[in-house]
Amino acid sequence: MFSMASSTLEITVISGEDIRNNRKPVKKNAFAVIRTDSQPLCRTEMDKDGGSYPYWNEKHNVEIPQHARFITVEVQCKTSAGDKTLGMARIPVSDFVGGFVPQSYLHFLSYRLRNSNGERNGIINVSVKAKVPEYAASLCSSTATTIGVPFGKTSCYGGVVPGVPVGVPIMKQYYQG
Amino acid sequence: MGNCFSDVQGGKQAVGGVQQSTTATNNNNGGHNDAVEFFYRSRGLQQLFTQIELSLSAFNLRDRDIISKSDPMAVLYAKKIDGKLEELGRTEVILNSLNPTWMEKITVAFQFEIVQPLVFHVYDVDTKFHNIPVKMLKLEDQDFLGEATCVLSEVLTKRNQSLTLNLHSKIGHVGLRNLGVLTIHAEETVASRRVVEMILRCSYLDNKDIFSKSDPFLRISRIVESGGSIPICKTEVVNDNLNPTWKPLCLSMQQFGSKDNPLIIECFDFNSSGKHSLIGKLQKSVADLEKLHEGRSGANLTITSHHGHKKVLKGELFVDQFCEKEQYSFIDYISCGFELNFMVAVDFTASNGNPRNPDSLHYIDPFGQLNSYQKAIMEVGEVIQFYDSDRRFPAWGFGGKTFDGTISHCFNLNGSTGSFEVEGVGGIMSAYASALHNVTLAGPTLFGQVIKRAAQIASQSVSYNSKKYFVLLIITDGVLTDLQETKDALVKASDLPLSILIVGVGGANFGQMEDLDADKGQRLESSTGRVATRDIVQFVPMRDVHGGQISVVQALLEELPGQFLTYMRCRDIKPHPLDEAQASGYECGLTSWSPECARH
Repeated sequence: MFSMASSTLEITVISGEDIRNNRKPVKKNAFAVIRTDSQPLCRTEMDKDGGSYPYWNEKHNVEIPQHARFITVEVQCKTSAGDKTLGMARIPVSDFVGGFVPQSYLHFLSYRLRNSNGERNGIINVSVKAKVPEYAASLCSSTATTIGVPFGKTSCYGGVVPGVPVGVPIMKQYYQG
Repeated sequence: MGNCFSDVQGGKQAVGGVQQSTTATNNNNGGHNDAVEFFYRSRGLQQLFTQIELSLSAFNLRDRDIISKSDPMAVLYAKKIDGKLEELGRTEVILNSLNPTWMEKITVAFQFEIVQPLVFHVYDVDTKFHNIPVKMLKLEDQDFLGEATCVLSEVLTKRNQSLTLNLHSKIGHVGLRNLGVLTIHAEETVASRRVVEMILRCSYLDNKDIFSKSDPFLRISRIVESGGSIPICKTEVVNDNLNPTWKPLCLSMQQFGSKDNPLIIECFDFNSSGKHSLIGKLQKSVADLEKLHEGRSGANLTITSHHGHKKVLKGELFVDQFCEKEQYSFIDYISCGFELNFMVAVDFTASNGNPRNPDSLHYIDPFGQLNSYQKAIMEVGEVIQFYDSDRRFPAWGFGGKTFDGTISHCFNLNGSTGSFEVEGVGGIMSAYASALHNVTLAGPTLFGQVIKRAAQIASQSVSYNSKKYFVLLIITDGVLTDLQETKDALVKASDLPLSILIVGVGGANFGQMEDLDADKGQRLESSTGRVATRDIVQFVPMRDVHGGQISVVQALLEELPGQFLTYMRCRDIKPHPLDEAQASGYECGLTSWSPECARH
């Protein structure tokens, strides 16, 4: 439901790059969690065989409060001792709101992950698109904003998603175990 | 030892299929791959360009024959840099017609990065030559009916890829005015669009490393007539793995020729020294690989020992995925209204030297020899102008003191306070020349503002017209004063329809600039932790000499169609609408991800 106090985002958690657990490449079962400072928003499935280059490509619709200034992405992995956070990045809302592009622009964003010691630990690739609420869509003068820029489904027509190791998202589902 | 991370990562990136690279510079943009291109250039071989077929027709030709009408034939020439004409092909002779539509198509290789002037001559072939094969006809014996000239990209950017030109007499000859018209229609060969996407995997590879396992990558080469082979693509390196699966490999039909052409697939162990060890190889055509996929079988690698004995290895190659499809090409986009918009920014810092001094990089030679700035503007502008519908180019200067005494890092080159655009490449040149009189060279060298301005224009354009892609050319003589601010601006701009070409002129050490070009370094990172979405920057120092017909600056342009396509494809922006003629050509493949591929 549309709420005055929040806005809806369509976030696709795409992939991670070079993510390590204690300096060694992650073997498997990495997943990503997205939250604001106060509440969790969504989490992805575990990538069972993706290793240190996990690939999720999961689209989630989340609501963030209007006053939120950051959303946080954490890459965690499941260990025998529980879920361990391997790296975290804070995405400023200003990176996908405001600016000169239309509100519904599909932003492909990548961020440096840092572990609990503050050390660099790979990169996270996401895409974010603000969902214009339905009742307001008719008020929006600029319907041109959606021409030619449909939501970037990861099509196989050579649809290379930037920030992602080439081709992986498209055919990943066909990798043998 | 300070910041000494080894360049092994850089080396692995250079091998191809960069794991961290954001661009499709490895092979998904029509086969462009740094190492492969260097290979071609250093051997003077012609690259595998997009092949275009030109169909010609004419209307209202002059009648030269007394009893019947003219028997016309058309000849196409490429005009070389020295002005000489090189024949590219000729049509057949059509009897007795002043409005011929020739069937014979002439093939031309489209090279985005250069201006390709074409000259068409139409002849009336005398009856006595009608039984001679067309290619043996001596043109000086025929009656000349008219000439037309154009540039190849002019034809390609037209909406239906057809251009009609008036025929005129050869220059210097007095002749009749109305010689009729010639219509040129261009079409990409189907091969340009057809691609094969495969996922390759190997098992039981030999271990070539001592302390860990091999780091394998594949190199695929095409066998040429002379018996040698030319590499057409490489996979990325998979670390420490004797059973690797590589990321999907995309080969265009242009690269492999036909599905039956034999290809050599070599598996190497990556060594940071550059001397990669060959693990094994095999020879298969694309059709063979398709069979491997269908049969779910593997093919053994072999290696030739010192004695010349071929040994079959335990290692096998599997094709886990094989899919043929067609993808929209650069020409598909530009012929349906997509544009490249050119913007230029010129360095007005004092290090260039006083423009009145002949040693200055900004010296304007009264005899017309172009300085480095003028050369860069011409070489890039002259190519891109054909892709820009209104030929109005934003032009700025940076690092100079303008009329009000303040130093500006983004002032309008034309000296106007309101309008930042000039008309045509000529407009850029005259704005540049007059700015040299009105602007005092100052400093420091900062790109941030110009990049932000260009990014603003690109962002605003997305709101009203997503068919524009922007190209900013920055010409500078010096080293950046604030590298981090520039990186921040570049990272912010990396998700926009924008590419930035930086040309370094003069003798400065441009090592730091190479960091901005992700081909040579890593993905750019801003001070806030954001990483560039794609590699939008390319840098080249003007003094690099590659040799061959393409200048250094034009080599920068080669990557542009690929960067444009990456942006469009990842956002699923298709060239549309298709008219009927084009739609029929796309029956197979373009409409869907074939269900056979999905069934695994």
